[in-house]
Amino acid sequence: MSNQSVLVIGGGIAGIQASIDLANMGFQVYLVERTPSIGGRMAQLDKTFPTNDCSMCILAPKMIECAGHEKVHLLTYSEVAEVRGEAGDFQVTVRRKPRYVDLDKCTGCGDCVEKCPRRVPSEFNLGLDRRKAIYLPFAQAVPRKVTIDAESCLYLVKGRCRVCEETCQAGAIDFEQQEELLELEVGAIVVATGFDPYDPASLTEYGYGEIENVITGLEYERLICASGPTEGHLQRPSDGKVPRVIAFIQCVGSRDVNYKPYCSSVCCMHATKEAILANEHYPDLKSFILYTDLRAVGKQFQEYIIRAREEYDVNYIRSRPGKITVDERSGNPVVWYDETVFSEAGDPVRRVTSMGVDLVVLCQALVPRGVHPEMEEKLGLELDECGFLAIPDQLVRPVDTTVAGIFACGFCQSPQDIPDSVVQASAAAARVAELLIFQE
Amino acid sequence: MRVPEVAEYARSLPNVVYVEDNLYACSEEGLSSIKEQIAKQHLNRVVVASCTPRTHEPLFKEACEEAGLNKYLFEFVNIREHCSWIHMHDSAGATEKAKELVRMGVAKACYLEPQEEFESEVFPAALVIGGGVAGMTAALSLAGQGIQVHLVEREKELGGLIRSVRTLFPAQQDTEDLLGPLVERVRSHPQITTYVGSEAETVDGFIGDFDVSIATDGQTKELKVGTVIVATGAQELKPIALYGYSRLPNVVTQLEFEEKFKEGADTPRNVVMINCVGARIPERTYCGRFCCTTAIKNAIWLKEQDPEASVHVLQRDVMAYGVDIEEFYRRAMELGVRFVRYDIENPPQIMGEERAEAVKVYHQLMGRQVVLPTDLVVLTTPLVSREDNERLSKMLKVPLGSEGFFLEAHLKLRPIEFATDGVYVCGSARYPSDIRESVSQAYAAAAKAAIPIRDGFVRAEAITAFCSERTCTACGNCVEVCPFGAIELQEGRFGETAHVNVAQCKGCGCCVAACPSGAMQQRGFDDRQLFGMISALAEEMTSGTGRQ
Amino acid sequence: MAPEDNERGGDGSEPKILVFACNWCAYAGADLAGVSRLQMPSNCRVIRVMCSARVKPEFVITALSKGLDGVLILGCHPGDCHYSEGNYFTRRRGLFLRGLLEYLGIEPERFQVKWVSASEGAKFAEIVKEVTEKIKALSANRP
Repeated sequence: MSNQSVLVIGGGIAGIQASIDLANMGFQVYLVERTPSIGGRMAQLDKTFPTNDCSMCILAPKMIECAGHEKVHLLTYSEVAEVRGEAGDFQVTVRRKPRYVDLDKCTGCGDCVEKCPRRVPSEFNLGLDRRKAIYLPFAQAVPRKVTIDAESCLYLVKGRCRVCEETCQAGAIDFEQQEELLELEVGAIVVATGFDPYDPASLTEYGYGEIENVITGLEYERLICASGPTEGHLQRPSDGKVPRVIAFIQCVGSRDVNYKPYCSSVCCMHATKEAILANEHYPDLKSFILYTDLRAVGKQFQEYIIRAREEYDVNYIRSRPGKITVDERSGNPVVWYDETVFSEAGDPVRRVTSMGVDLVVLCQALVPRGVHPEMEEKLGLELDECGFLAIPDQLVRPVDTTVAGIFACGFCQSPQDIPDSVVQASAAAARVAELLIFQE
Repeated sequence: MRVPEVAEYARSLPNVVYVEDNLYACSEEGLSSIKEQIAKQHLNRVVVASCTPRTHEPLFKEACEEAGLNKYLFEFVNIREHCSWIHMHDSAGATEKAKELVRMGVAKACYLEPQEEFESEVFPAALVIGGGVAGMTAALSLAGQGIQVHLVEREKELGGLIRSVRTLFPAQQDTEDLLGPLVERVRSHPQITTYVGSEAETVDGFIGDFDVSIATDGQTKELKVGTVIVATGAQELKPIALYGYSRLPNVVTQLEFEEKFKEGADTPRNVVMINCVGARIPERTYCGRFCCTTAIKNAIWLKEQDPEASVHVLQRDVMAYGVDIEEFYRRAMELGVRFVRYDIENPPQIMGEERAEAVKVYHQLMGRQVVLPTDLVVLTTPLVSREDNERLSKMLKVPLGSEGFFLEAHLKLRPIEFATDGVYVCGSARYPSDIRESVSQAYAAAAKAAIPIRDGFVRAEAITAFCSERTCTACGNCVEVCPFGAIELQEGRFGETAHVNVAQCKGCGCCVAACPSGAMQQRGFDDRQLFGMISALAEEMTSGTGRQ
Repeated sequence: MAPEDNERGGDGSEPKILVFACNWCAYAGADLAGVSRLQMPSNCRVIRVMCSARVKPEFVITALSKGLDGVLILGCHPGDCHYSEGNYFTRRRGLFLRGLLEYLGIEPERFQVKWVSASEGAKFAEIVKEVTEKIKALSANRP
């Protein structure tokens, strides 16, 4: 029965949780994910606050449970092309991008990846290292199938190579593969498209893109991660040295009417986590977190901050830096910020001071990933001024969008961390169940 | 690694009647072949030596079932991730290792026994303890899914904490506009039975089969439910002895402030609010999460009533996270509310004998003490856990965290579930949450609580523990070590012995290792199987030469 | 011990090490090491258990008394046990076993309890290399 099927858009932790709950409730779930693997942002994290659980360790079993569920139909490397209809009766067109790999035959052995001669920057590692034109986005990818990136593949672009085809013992390479349009009928839609990091290059005063040793929080996450491009060795970009002092700058692009007026909610904890990890890896490493309000509002969050201060040499300075310059010789960034000092007489003097550090991490604003513009126009799916999916009745129906039958969970509707996203995902499942239960 | 050699070796092992060397065992083709051979060769055990069981074991187990072989007679041997991929330059070593791993797998398989997955029926009803916004939302969602709900509320009225709140953030709507319709929907829903002025006294049993007794209307009502949701909320901290509270008449909490001005009394000219009272201090380290929001809301309200009013909020970080609260914070500042940061080392002081006349605070930015004349001091305090959480926690066999709130199964990925199956939590009972968050959690709890009921039964993977009554000495070790409280000592044929509740057992094996008599065993991982593997490994290599 | 042990006798022979790995962390970590193609000596043989707490002391003693050269128990990091407390029991048992083995005159290097999370493929490889080296340096486990 088509109305006992649900479309979930987005395969991050929220999409995964919603899919599992819906499948357990008995619905057929079509999980559409834009990239070759589900996992989303959580797969890119090293650890998660405040438990410091290894992110992939708690994510992977969920990914496997989701993909292995008989009622979940994974449509990775796919996008929603069109949505028509109404609650209880949506018609969806899904565009399956060609991977040039037969999913039924590929075993994920990886032999083709080894032989492929073409390297391009890795999206998963935010360009910090390279992947091949035929690739698995990360080691624990689900499904464990390779994908050929049509824009970098030597054969697809220039007509030569085909080494992967020769190497593959399962005969899974298929250069004839075409884009496929899949028509689905579903009763409800759950949007879980998550977020993108805001590019801090537009805040030119911070020198991102100009000063090598100024990196973003997500880039730092990949560097400190044991399965990342440097195997967890915190090597700073300019010279590969391990930093002894790190400055974390909060609210880069957030809480700023010139960029994003809202608070991204997770960065204070994120920075604290990263500072803790730095000290765990390198006990002599000292961190400074330059913040405006230290938003640690969740369960065990304040205790985490206390531990950071007391055990991990994390120092909090209340100030929003004005600019970052660089000492050309050493490559060390210099952070300029203002502070209040007191004269002999006890009079406060506000002055600008600077701190030379080895590495600067910009905790950038996080921006919701939009949905297909068609959905906004045709169906009336509204966004608020900041780009989040609008929730008209927050206090009674916190996961209902402006369109009946379309629900939104996770960061795409409001800034939130993993537990809140997981809760909203299950909440969306409940709302879908209420909607579809009596539609027979 | 030389696979054909390993296959050849496998043929030589005792009890092995058929060996197939297949490049892609997990493919459609490979699975068909397995099913075919089970039938043809009358196989009663199957061993697959290939990749990690963690991905494809269910697939192979199903293939066995489809061929008529109990899926617990299947064993997986990992010779890929654990062998060929990690010894790529040691073909001889890898081959020998693979042979031994296969030998161990075969040895275990010989001792495998068919198992039936335990299925227990789920009674199609749910209990919601607590009739506040969270409890009501959960009840409505469950009822909306066609499930019968028993909603128990201790007070005479539904509504919980927000009954004391005058207006709701972010729209500044009257609480009654939200509460009225919600209560009406609950009261009129045919699937919801509401018990006000009542309390849940006992909840015995396990997921699918809870026996509940409710004290209501002077009697005791007995019910059966399949799942339970805890939505008992929390209470505002009354900061006795802090800042003159309970001594000075014009020092109140935020909720008392809202109560006081509900009827539209004249608002005071000078108000000083103090945030983080009794929160984020050594005695109570947590943050109340939405108390800043409450202070901002009330500060804005004061300015809207009287734009000339002087409103100061003394704070130690303004927790205006997200989109709306940050916007609200900005609006408060635009209206002229002054936010003054203070330090935990230099808390504000109340000046005045009979009433609070002024508040003295060390203004961080100005670097000196300032004195703020005041007509009213409002203390912003966090929610704290209810006193009867202890009783509830024992009644439901669920834990409390260090702050006194209920402790969920996993802070990140299972925030509204408990380690005990079938019981869920939502709202401020878990941790201070504002309405939007509590309601989201309530829907989530309803989703979780609905799943077993929709299924009609719960099934446990048959790797549970079981006790051989004859051998059991009722020492009680197992009862103590079980992390899930799944074992009880009960009277049986051989006197008092340990009994494992299969519905609650998670198959960890803690009890097995703790059992001094060997009575306790784990299906699929019992002593004979594991000892069998050890012996098989220690056997001398009968093929190849010993390695030097 | 059987007389035909001469086949493997003497120093420099390849030790055979038994590893108990818990399903949720250590076994997954070993899988990751495999997926990452981290190379290591081929002396270890893994037995999967659901929780490291399943491992009875008798397993360790039997293994060593049957001539296996070493036993390793790998579990989740304390605090991360999938069953909340299992690895605490393992830790305690480990301490007890060390004392017992010492009393029996068995070298402490032959028995270890270590923690490996599902994302620590490299750590698993390190442990395998380290333990194999240490046990290799000992003479074969004979009476």
